[in-house]
Amino acid sequence: MRHGCTCGRGRAWVLAILLACVLALLPSVDALALTTNKATARPNEDGGSGVIGGIATRLTWEGTVEEGEEVSEVTLTLPEGGSFDGTSTKVTALEGLSRAKVEGEATPAGNRLTVSFSQPVSAGMLLRLEVEGMTFPSAGGDVVVGGTYLDQSGERPLADSKPIRTIANTPLQMMVATLDQSPAVEAWNANPFLGMFFKPQLLVTALFSLVPGWLLCLLIVVIAYPFAIVLGLLFAFMKISRYRPVRLVATLYVNVLRGTPLFLQIYIMFFGLPMMNVNINNNVLGVLVIAINASAYLAEIFRAGIQSIPLGQYEAASSIGMSYFQTMFSIILPQTVRRVIPTVTSDFITSYKDTSLLSSVGVMELMMFSKNLTSVSGNMTPYVAAALFYLVVTLPLIKAVTIIENRMANAERGGGPQHHKGKAAAAQEGGESAGEKPSERVMRAEALGTDPAPAPSSMAPSLASEV
Amino acid sequence: MSMLSRRQFVQGGSLVAAAGLLAGCGSASSGTGSSGPAADGEYTLVSEGKLTCISNLYFPPFEFMDDKTGEPRGFDIDMSKSLAEHLGLEVNWLPSQAFDSLVPTIKAGGTADVAIAGMTITDARKAEVDMSDPYIDSNQSLVTKVGSEDTMDTLDDASKKIAVQAGTTGADWAKENFPKAEIVPLDDIISAMNGVVTGSYAALVTDLPVSSYQIKNSFSSLQIIEEIPTGEQYGIAVSKDNPGLTKAINAALAEMEEDGSLDAIETEWFGAAL
Repeated sequence: MRHGCTCGRGRAWVLAILLACVLALLPSVDALALTTNKATARPNEDGGSGVIGGIATRLTWEGTVEEGEEVSEVTLTLPEGGSFDGTSTKVTALEGLSRAKVEGEATPAGNRLTVSFSQPVSAGMLLRLEVEGMTFPSAGGDVVVGGTYLDQSGERPLADSKPIRTIANTPLQMMVATLDQSPAVEAWNANPFLGMFFKPQLLVTALFSLVPGWLLCLLIVVIAYPFAIVLGLLFAFMKISRYRPVRLVATLYVNVLRGTPLFLQIYIMFFGLPMMNVNINNNVLGVLVIAINASAYLAEIFRAGIQSIPLGQYEAASSIGMSYFQTMFSIILPQTVRRVIPTVTSDFITSYKDTSLLSSVGVMELMMFSKNLTSVSGNMTPYVAAALFYLVVTLPLIKAVTIIENRMANAERGGGPQHHKGKAAAAQEGGESAGEKPSERVMRAEALGTDPAPAPSSMAPSLASEV
Repeated sequence: MSMLSRRQFVQGGSLVAAAGLLAGCGSASSGTGSSGPAADGEYTLVSEGKLTCISNLYFPPFEFMDDKTGEPRGFDIDMSKSLAEHLGLEVNWLPSQAFDSLVPTIKAGGTADVAIAGMTITDARKAEVDMSDPYIDSNQSLVTKVGSEDTMDTLDDASKKIAVQAGTTGADWAKENFPKAEIVPLDDIISAMNGVVTGSYAALVTDLPVSSYQIKNSFSSLQIIEEIPTGEQYGIAVSKDNPGLTKAINAALAEMEEDGSLDAIETEWFGAAL
């Protein structure tokens, strides 16, 4: 019986050893004393989310020590081309959510990093190694972090991590690297002002990475504006309606929107609508807010423009039997359009700049991109780059407004392209009394069937200078 | 007198400009503090006798504004009071500012002496400012709306938006662990929580003590689906130009650890000494 017993035990041993062999041969993670949980890398693409090979980043490797085991040393290895040289490693060991006092000493050697612990890391602990300053192979591709570890029974292989997707070095990054090495750039950056606001490396990356944000800004305002014009016209007509309730509605709309900050309107729309279970795409909502806000300002501009047309023209139109609508669309509005163009352009500039407020609610526009870049770099250069992107649109528009205003003032004074007056001569005339261009007066008089008589001075110049 | 070449002139000019900037910074940061350059153990303060602190005051329970009085409250506030006491100073809290502007503000100097903001000690921050010894440990958490079926795996998808607070370790963690998802950085964590409640974002990543406190007290429709053990540690940010203050703070923190005042504040805010 005793004999049989030992025999049974012996058989059990053999079975156990066989089982262990089989398990060891299987690519099973459970058999390891130190399981690899994950390996991730911090994105190092300036203004992007990719992990680029050949440029320093931080590798975070996590593993759990299994039951009944102790680990005294871990070695991580990277594929050929990766490097741990010059890295600093932070070791964190956790029991559940609380930190354990474990210190480790890291020795980097090429694509291997060995971390030995002051005392063995005990069972059930989560081990995290954060390796700052390591580089992945510059060719890019999926990178697997492997390695070995030491436990009571000696050195054993570490299970490979899930692959980390890396990308090959981009031309932009290489340009930045060239700038990094240039002594001229270094001297430039040594100046506190230049280095903080005009750091060449950041300017280059920002100019590239801000483009999607800039395009979104343009897209939002370009889509929003036609809607704003239609809405604005509608409310302008409502404001000059002969029915009091209609006028009241329009006044309320315009005053509430002009009397509250756009920032507040954005918050109400972006946080209020979803609470009523209205879920609209952020960008569409951005277009909506900008369109509604601009429409209030445009309504006032259009109303002032329409009312700046002398009353005599309405009387003249009705005297030749034109209806209200005919008068509006063939006499009044065409003149209004001309008069409001500078003011509307200025308003367009305002709306374009106002898209920046959408960054506070997570619309990925220009300001958002530059904010992100600044919060990563702690440098003001991305904001300067963003300023360039705003100016590249606003400066030509401001110039255009000035040109149109000058032409209009010129035309009001009786100058005009037909007369081929020299620029200098036109400029000399500046600031004189406003009058209508004679040829135009004739044309309008013909249309109205009345004698060409001097019209009262218009409101256009004051309107244009409102902005 | 010999004429300067253009290059010499430009160099001279930039030197003068740089010196001017430096002088400007120097006079702003030394202010009314102790005179002369800070020797070992000495430090300068923005306003005499006061430890001037900045933070983002939308990070309960570490720092938030009282509903009624609008005064700053929270673990960090109590800790700062005790810290100032140990330093023989009064504490002075400035109005809230965006979290990602705290380190640049301290670095620039002149506004505040320290940033106490539930700020994890990281290498990136240590490159810009000095960080004190850690005063409390923290972890990260992944939060979704109650009823959401999202998990760690389903959230890493191009269609998912994950809200974070700009410039935080939570933001870094999200970027690193959800490479496919769209990470939306916001100014404060309260708007992120509102956004997850309303469905604008699928999830948010923030410090575990903050999410558990907020879920318990005001956001009952949110849930923590993953406690992320990071073992990060909060420290106090001090300008690199003021090493004496960092030293004094570290000494005071050690005292607070020893005399139990840190434990008392932890018990008050978290129910137990951590």
